[in-house]
This record gives sequence, C-alpha cells and structure tokens, in this order.
Amino acid sequence: MTLSTLVSGWSFGYDLIFESVFAIISLILAIFAFQIYKLAGEDKSRLFGVSFLLISISYFVQIAFNLVYASNLGTSICTLANLPSNNAILYYGNYLHFLFMIIGLAVLLYMTFDINHSEILWFLVILSTVSLLVSSNEFYAFYLLSTIYLAFITWYFIRNYFRKKQKLSLMTAVAFSFLLFGSFHFFLSVNHQLYFIIGYFLELIAYILILLNLILVQKK
Amino acid sequence: MIIKRDRVGIIRDILQIIKEKGNRINPTGIMYKANLSHKMLIEYLNETITKGFIAEEIDKNKKKTYSLTPRGYKFLDDYETIRKFFDSYGLN
Repeated sequence: MTLSTLVSGWSFGYDLIFESVFAIISLILAIFAFQIYKLAGEDKSRLFGVSFLLISISYFVQIAFNLVYASNLGTSICTLANLPSNNAILYYGNYLHFLFMIIGLAVLLYMTFDINHSEILWFLVILSTVSLLVSSNEFYAFYLLSTIYLAFITWYFIRNYFRKKQKLSLMTAVAFSFLLFGSFHFFLSVNHQLYFIIGYFLELIAYILILLNLILVQKK
Repeated sequence: MIIKRDRVGIIRDILQIIKEKGNRINPTGIMYKANLSHKMLIEYLNETITKGFIAEEIDKNKKKTYSLTPRGYKFLDDYETIRKFFDSYGLN
C-alpha cells in the first residue's frame, strides 16, 4: 500500500482542495461537451464529454474516500469490513481514482485517433484496466500509462493548433502539455515529495487554462 | 484563398441557405448554393435529417423541399460556440 503513505503525508488536506478544483472543472467541461453534443449531434463531442465525466468521477471518488478516511466513519467501516487499518480506505480510494481516470484518458485517446471502431475503444479500456489490476505497483503502472496516453493526446492537440492557428486551440495544447508534465512529475514523485507538489501545481495550471478556454468559447 | 470547409461548416452552410430562402428550398437549390456534388448533397441531407436539423416534405408532384426544424434554428444560433469548442479541442 505505497499509495496510502504517499497521500497521507504532508499533502493530506491540500490535495483535497486541488482535487475538488479538478473535479469541478472536469465536470463543467463534461456537461458543456454533452450540451454541444445535443446541439451538433457529433459523436466526438459525446466521447469528449464521457472522458471528462470519468475524469471528474475519478476525482470525486478520491475526495469521498479521503473524507471518509479523515472522519470517524473510516474507523467504523474498517471494523465492519474487517480491514487491517484506516490506510486501506485511502488505498481503495486511490485504486478507484486510478481506474476511472485511466478509463477516461483511454476514451480521450480513442477520440484523438479519428476512427469509428468501438472494438478499439473497448480494447483500450480493457487493456488499461487489466494493466492496473495485474500490476505489482499500481502507482507506477497508473502514472506510466497516463503519461503515455497524455503524450499522444497532447500531440493531437498540438497538431490541432498548427492546423487551426487559433488562440483557443493553443490554450488547449498548452493545458494538456501541463497535464502531461504533471503526470510525469507524479511518476517521479515516489521518492521525491517536491515532485508531488510540482505535479499538483502543474495540473492546477492546466485546469485553470481549461476553464479559461471554456469561458472564452462561450463568450459571444 | 480557398478555405476548406469541415463537416460542421458544411452543415451550417446548408442550414443557413435554407433559412435565407424563406425556410423552404428544393435540393437542387441547396446543391448549387452550398457548392456540393450530388453525392455529398444526399449524404449531408440524410445526416441533417437524421440529426433533426431539417425536415423533408414531398408535395403532390413528388417534388422534395426542405425546411429548418426548431433544432436547426438552435444549431444556427449556437453555431459560433459550437465552432469555437470544436476548434479548441479538434473535435471536427
């Protein structure tokens, strides 16, 4: 349970604030993408909405488990479920967070392929899930996979910027670059807590850019 | 300079043409004004009908005309937002 000790250190409390911001912004983006899907009927916007909904759920799940861990409820649940310690709650919370997040990123990655083969989507989702489940160190597996997925996704948004040459597409490419660097920093953060802090701040910049982008999109 | 239209741009053009023609136009009118081949016209008309943007009517002489639905008007009203969102994330 390497994860529990990592999250329960200095960052507990602060990470709740960061994760709440990420969860809310991802949820707003998902809802907006579904509204656009309703208007335009384009499948890609629905996939985009689904991916950000899953990302948002992943953060909400982690927040919920962290709150349970911090409250008296955690001890009662551990006693009822016969869990060895309160840390098990953090462990399962992180595990679910990783699962929802990696599936969300797999859906986003599929969207960037510009293809219409649901088998490939299922292949990506199953491969991502199985990789996490069979890994001996789910932390490394998750951040390695998410860094690879984000590298491809970011490259798609960079190419999109070079095609469109617009301020909004540049903002998206920069935001996803920050998410990619953030994910890479989390990957390095096992033994270096400084990287963990940097990772959170890089993600925060990314989500602020995503929110700003959304505001500009809606501006008439 | 020739600006290549994407799918959403073509759909918008078709809807705009129907609107400008007093919300009733025949397929040939759409084909010429939207600068589409016959094959593309059929493809896009089918798509816009499926998505509920336009309605097809056949008169007693078996001539087809197309008109915008409320959803089609809504699409035109919100086109700029849709366009910007699609461009931001490469959804088109």
